[in-house]
Amino acid sequence: MSLLTVKGLSRHFGSLKAVDDVTFSLDAGTILGFIGPNGAGKSTTMRIIATLDVPTAGEVLLDGQSVVARPDAARPLIGYMPDRYGTYEDMTVFEFLDFFARAYKLRGKERVERVDSVMEFTGLLPLKDKLTSELSKGMKQRVALGRTLLHDPKLLILDEPADGLDPRARIELRELLRALASQGKAVLISSHILTELSEICDACAIIEQGRLLATGSVQEVLSRTHGALPSTDVEVRLHATPGARDAVTQKAERLLLEQPLVVDVVPSNDGVRFRIELPQGTQPTPGWVDGACVRILKAMVAAELPVVSFQTREHDLEDAFMSVTRGRVQ
Amino acid sequence: MSTATATTTPATPDAFDRLGERVADAINPIVVKEVRQGLRTRVFTIFFAVMLAANLLISLVAFAFADEGGTRTGQDAFMAYFVALACVQFFVIPYSAYRSMSREAEEETWVLLTLTGLGPRRILAGKVASFVLQGTLYASAAAPFLLFSYYLNGIDLPTIVVALATSIAYQLFLVALSVSMATLAETRLVRGLLHFVLLGLLLQGLGFGIGGTAGAMELSRKALADGVFWLSALAGTFAMVTTGMLFFELAAARLSLPSEDYARGPRRWYLVQAVGMLAFFLWGYAASGERGVLVAGALSQAAHALLVGQTVASDRDGMARVHWATGKRFSPFKPGALRGFTVVTVVTLAAGALYAVPGFSAGDPGMEAVIIAAPAFALVYLATPQIVARWVPHPPSQTALMVRVLAFGLFVLGVGLPPLVGELVAEADNLALNLLNPTVGLVNVAKAKVDALPLVLVPWGVALGVTAWAFAVLRRHDVEPLA
Repeated sequence: MSLLTVKGLSRHFGSLKAVDDVTFSLDAGTILGFIGPNGAGKSTTMRIIATLDVPTAGEVLLDGQSVVARPDAARPLIGYMPDRYGTYEDMTVFEFLDFFARAYKLRGKERVERVDSVMEFTGLLPLKDKLTSELSKGMKQRVALGRTLLHDPKLLILDEPADGLDPRARIELRELLRALASQGKAVLISSHILTELSEICDACAIIEQGRLLATGSVQEVLSRTHGALPSTDVEVRLHATPGARDAVTQKAERLLLEQPLVVDVVPSNDGVRFRIELPQGTQPTPGWVDGACVRILKAMVAAELPVVSFQTREHDLEDAFMSVTRGRVQ
Repeated sequence: MSTATATTTPATPDAFDRLGERVADAINPIVVKEVRQGLRTRVFTIFFAVMLAANLLISLVAFAFADEGGTRTGQDAFMAYFVALACVQFFVIPYSAYRSMSREAEEETWVLLTLTGLGPRRILAGKVASFVLQGTLYASAAAPFLLFSYYLNGIDLPTIVVALATSIAYQLFLVALSVSMATLAETRLVRGLLHFVLLGLLLQGLGFGIGGTAGAMELSRKALADGVFWLSALAGTFAMVTTGMLFFELAAARLSLPSEDYARGPRRWYLVQAVGMLAFFLWGYAASGERGVLVAGALSQAAHALLVGQTVASDRDGMARVHWATGKRFSPFKPGALRGFTVVTVVTLAAGALYAVPGFSAGDPGMEAVIIAAPAFALVYLATPQIVARWVPHPPSQTALMVRVLAFGLFVLGVGLPPLVGELVAEADNLALNLLNPTVGLVNVAKAKVDALPLVLVPWGVALGVTAWAFAVLRRHDVEPLA
C-alpha cells in the first residue's frame, strides 16, 4: 500500500478551480517531483496534504488514515516546508530547533538527542550558537529542513526548497534528500528547476491549471512523453582524417538538408548537429522520432558517409514538461 | 532518522538546572520561547531599568515628604508607583504581545507553529501567558516599592492587594485583546491600520486603568464597606474576564481550519457572559429593589445579543465532513450558522422571559413595556442580516463577515432612516414610522406607557416572523460546504 494516496482531490475558490480532480500516490522511500508552472495548483495541493487547507472534494490518505477527517492524527507523520517561511531571527539555531522539538512534544533527553541528531545530519552543529539572522540562505534552508525532521515524519513535503539557493547549496540539498529517501521517507517536492528534479526524483507528477497531466515514475513519464514533442536534436559523429574532415562534413550537411523534417544543420567538432522538426500544426504521433531517425541514418549509410555514432539528445523532465503542458495560466 | 548520535557533551546539570528543565518541559513551549525572546529584547531592558529608576526617584521624594508628617503620603506614593507600573503593564506589555503575534504572520512562522499540532488555542494561550508572566516580573520588581507606600501611611494593605490583583486581571484582558487583534489582519495595509487602532485603544486603556484605580483609591475607605460597590466591582471584573476570553476564543476560531472544533469556545463564552449578565442584573434588582435595574438589564441583554450574539451566530453555512460524522447533529456547539443562530435566539428569548417575570410586578407600565419589547428588537436585527446575507453572492468562507457587515448596516439604517424619512415627509411624530427603530422605537414604547401594546406587538410580530424565516433559510443552507 502506498504511504500517500491522493484521490480525486479538488479545491475551488469560487469559480476558480485551483486543484481539479488530482489523483496520485507516493510510496515510502520515494521522491516524487511535483512539476507545474506558477499558479498550477502545486502549493494548494501540498497545503491540503499538509493539513493546512481542506479540499472541496476528494480524499487524502496518509498511512491509510484520512488527512482531511483527522488532521491532528496526520500532522505527526508530516514534515512540511512551505515555499515562504520564517526562522525567528532573534533565536540561535539551537534555540530554534529546541523550541520546535518542544512544540512537537519531545521531552527531556529524547529532545536533546533529537536536536543534536538533526543538527548533525543537516551539518548545522558548528552553527548551533549562531543567530538565524546571521545565516546564509542555504543555511537557513537547512535549519528549515532540520525543523521538518525533528519529529521524524514519514512524509516530507517540500515546496520549492531549492528556490534562491546557489549551486553548491542545491547540490547539498539534493544529497540530503537522497539520504532521507534512503532512510525510507517519502518526499514530495516541487521545484521550477526541472534539471534538479530529474536528478533526484524517482517519480513525477505534472500539473497545469489544477489538473494532473502526467504521473508515474520518471522513466514512465519520459517514455510516455517521448515522441510527443514536435522536435528533437540529433548529434552525428563522422570518421575522417583531418584533411578530409571538411569535405565529409559538407557532404553530410548537403545530404541532411535534402531530408524531409531536417532543419538547423550545423557542423560540430567531429561531425554534424541538426534538428528533426514536425511542420507547424502537425500533431506528433507515437514513435515519429524513431521513424525519422531510421530513415535519415539509412540515407547517410547509403551515401557512404562514415557514421561513427548517431544520437538523439536524451529526453529529460524539461522535455516531458514542455510536451504535456500548454503554458496556460488561470 | 537513523543518524541519531549525540556529539555534544554538556556539563552535568545541577539540581536547579534539572528542575528548570523539568518545569520548561511541563509548560507550554510558546511560553518558554516568548520569555526567552522577550527577556533579551532591548524593550525589556530599557523599560525595566526606567521603571526601577522612576520607583527609586518616587521613593526618595516620598521619603522626603514623609518627614513633613503628611497623612496622604502613602496613597500618593502608591499612585505614583502604580502609574510607573501601569505604563508597562497596560501599554508596553500588551503592545509587545500584539507585535509578537503579528510578527508570526509577517515572518510566516505561524504556519510552522500550526503544523506542530499545538493548535491555535494553545499557541494563543502561550502568547498570553508569556506576556502576563513578563508583566508579573515587572510587578514583582515594583512590589517592594508598593509595600514601602504602606509604611508611609495613608493606605492600607487590602487596598494595595486589591489594586494589584485588579491590575493583573486588567493586564490579562488587554493582552488578550491585543493578541486577538493581531489575528484580524491578513494584509500589510490592514495590519498597519490595526496597529494605529490598537495604539489608540491601549492609550485609552492606560488612562482608564490609572483613572479607575485613582478613583477607587479615593473611594476605597467608604466603598469597601458598600455592598453595591462590591457587586459592581464583581460585575466589572466578570465582564472584563469573559470579554477577554471571548476575544481569545474568537481569535482561536479565526485561526482554526473548518475541520477543527472552532465554534465551541466562542459559543461557550457567549453563554457564560449572557447567563452571568442576567444573574448580575437580577441580583442587582433583588439587592436594590430598583426597577431601573431590570430595564437596564433587558436593554443590555438585547445589546449583548446584537453585538456579541451576532458575532457568535454569524458563521459559514453547514460544517465540514468530520463534524457531521461525530456527535449529535444538532449539538449547539457544532459549527455552522444554523446552530450558532439557534443558541443566540434561545438565549435572547430565555433572558427576555426571565426579565419579564419580575418586570410585570414593577408597577410602571412604561418600564414593563420596554422590558418586554427589548428582546423583540434584538431578534429583528439578529435575524434579518442572516436572511439578507444568503441573497448576496459571496464565497462561503466570507459568510460570517458578510452577516456582520450587513448587521451593522441594517442597524444603522434602522436607527437613522425612519427619523430622516419622518423629517422629509413632515411626519416626525408618526409612531408607525419608528415601530422598528431600536432607539426611537424603544423610547416611544416607554413614553406610551399603558397605550404601548401596539408598539410592542408589531416588533414582536416582525421578530417572530423574521426569526422563523431565518431558521428556514439557514436550514436550507445547512449543507456540507467543504470536505
